[in-house]
Amino acid sequence: MPCIVALIVFGIMGIFSASHRALAEEAFGCVFKRITFRPCNTGFAEKIKGKILSKLLVRSAFLAKMVNRHYEILSWIFFILMVGSTIWVGRGVYNFYVYGSCNGLNESGFCAFDPSGENNKVTSVGDDSSCGITQQSEQNVTLENINLSGFPAINTGSKDTVVFVGCYACDYSRKAYPDIQKLVKDKKSNYIFAHYPAKGDTMFLGEAGYCVQKEYPEKFWEFNDYLFTADKDYVLNKSNLDEILSKFGFDVKKISDCANSAETKTAVQDQTTELKKTNLYGTPTIFINGKAFVGPKPYRVYRSAINKFIFF
Amino acid sequence: MLNVEKIRADFDVLNPESPAKAPVYLDSACMSLKPRQVVEAMNDYYANYPACAGRSSHKLGDKVTKKVKKARELVTEFINAKSDDEIIFTRNTTEGINLLANSLGLQKGDIVLISDKEHNSNLVPWLRLRDKIGIVVRICPTNEDGTFNLDNFSQLVSGAKLVSVVHTSNLDGVTNPAKEIIKIAHQAGALVALDAAQSIPHKKVDVRDLDVDFLAFSGHKMLGPTGTGVFYGKLELLEKLSPFLVGGDTVESTSYDSYKMLPAPEKFEAGLQDYAGIIGLGEAVKYLSQFDFKYIAEHEFKLNAYITNELQKIPKIKIIGPEDPKLRSGIVNFYIDGTDMHKFAVMLDEMAGIEIRSGRHCVHSWFENKKIYNSARVSLYLYNMMEDAETFITNLKKILEIL
Repeated sequence: MPCIVALIVFGIMGIFSASHRALAEEAFGCVFKRITFRPCNTGFAEKIKGKILSKLLVRSAFLAKMVNRHYEILSWIFFILMVGSTIWVGRGVYNFYVYGSCNGLNESGFCAFDPSGENNKVTSVGDDSSCGITQQSEQNVTLENINLSGFPAINTGSKDTVVFVGCYACDYSRKAYPDIQKLVKDKKSNYIFAHYPAKGDTMFLGEAGYCVQKEYPEKFWEFNDYLFTADKDYVLNKSNLDEILSKFGFDVKKISDCANSAETKTAVQDQTTELKKTNLYGTPTIFINGKAFVGPKPYRVYRSAINKFIFF
Repeated sequence: MLNVEKIRADFDVLNPESPAKAPVYLDSACMSLKPRQVVEAMNDYYANYPACAGRSSHKLGDKVTKKVKKARELVTEFINAKSDDEIIFTRNTTEGINLLANSLGLQKGDIVLISDKEHNSNLVPWLRLRDKIGIVVRICPTNEDGTFNLDNFSQLVSGAKLVSVVHTSNLDGVTNPAKEIIKIAHQAGALVALDAAQSIPHKKVDVRDLDVDFLAFSGHKMLGPTGTGVFYGKLELLEKLSPFLVGGDTVESTSYDSYKMLPAPEKFEAGLQDYAGIIGLGEAVKYLSQFDFKYIAEHEFKLNAYITNELQKIPKIKIIGPEDPKLRSGIVNFYIDGTDMHKFAVMLDEMAGIEIRSGRHCVHSWFENKKIYNSARVSLYLYNMMEDAETFITNLKKILEIL
């Protein structure tokens, strides 16, 4: 048993240290002999025991005595802990690969692979519109009973559906946006875009987008791409809107009239109200086949959600 | 008297920058430390005249030839051989014994007598010949305390072609009565070979006084380099031996269908030799020769007596070999029933840098026969101090408290 524990411990430590790598090799030799039903006569178990006991003996004879007396039991305890922690680590690695967080989908606890929590950062949609990590149970975020018929959509009829709820002013939405475009392009999935004004005054862009979709549906996606990828300060400056609309060859007056109309304001407000029913707590929130991914996840996370067997 | 402090100053490994890191080296029966003089002699060869001996007529080659010749002369003098031609350089004792086993021309039914506590190097070559050509390997049992039983020997030597026994045992440090053994064997018509790996470093061995026919020892146990050894044989016997390793340097001339062997020692030293090692070995011999072996033995006995006395106070510890440390050279080999002694060695090293050997010390046959799992062996040499022995005992007691 000590050999198995040593193999795992030194195997991990050996990644960083050559001396531990040598011990891992010895431990492997011992374990290999055991699993091939041969006696482990390499003296490795005694060597490790000796090393542990001598380190303890220098500090406390009592402790060394106790460890020596219960060495086998302690080895088992360590083994069980090791198996437990290995499973736990495996789960964390799986979660990180599939959800972008070691702790599970949208869980914002500490993750060694994403120590700053980048994959869970959102612009919260509360009154304060703060940016950063906002922990909330993802189970509450749902598309159930949400009417998305008024939102711009492409590839309708595809078996997979991606709904991107983002804000033009939200850095995290802007970060996730290109990945979602790539995903939709690669997987040819049904794609619905919904603007949610989480931060600052972006309602005017939402209204403009609504009108572009209404008046120039064939150019909406190009326009939307621009709003997410062009310089943020420029895009968010109301006085630049006419210039932006002109760039795309739109009838500026027509779009402005449309955007300022009561009908548009009501429609956009209704859309925001509808989005609130999803219980979303931050942007971006991306629904892939109904499952909510809050925050800008790595591309593989989105792809895994659509793939049949995670990796392909 | 030995000036141990002065001796220790010659060993770099015992004088690290931080004195606390100096090892307490108690494993000289396995490998002795090397004095600076030996290391420098070898480095000098590699740095300044790394050429061939005995074949190149340029200055560098000439220098190597002279140095190798000098080393051979030093060894000759060291063991009091009659001629330099009786000194054959080998890699170690094992190679020397193998040389004998494969060159003596033993036939099916020939009897080789060995003792019951031979190192594998003086057991396996004979067992292999038994399996290969059908020689008879006869084992002479020692006394219960590990000392040699001359009565048993006298009875068993009859009819033996060769007696091949250890001189000083690496198992328990007991030195066999070589002179009596040789006398009895010769009277019985047997040749005698001595495994002198553990005796040569610690006591004066005079091959002419012993009248021994063959003798093998290693350089690495006598302050010399690893991979060096000596096989001695009486010249008239060497002339009769047929070398088992031949090729370059062993022949005077060759044609496409014949060859003419050189006399000893060349005919046994096939191929390019380890010149640096041989020169280092010569330096080790020179270094050892400055001491009177009587004082080395006295020094080792003093330390051995202290350790033995302390170990004998601990009931569960059993010392292999005779109780009297005087009979055990610089070796104290001990065990505890049912305990794997490897952990003692590991713990002593981890706790205080005390380096001892644990295991079966290449005498598996004895351990198997006695049903003892393994042992821990302390082996002393001229550079060990009383403090080394005290540190060992102090830490051993600490370990025993928790086990």
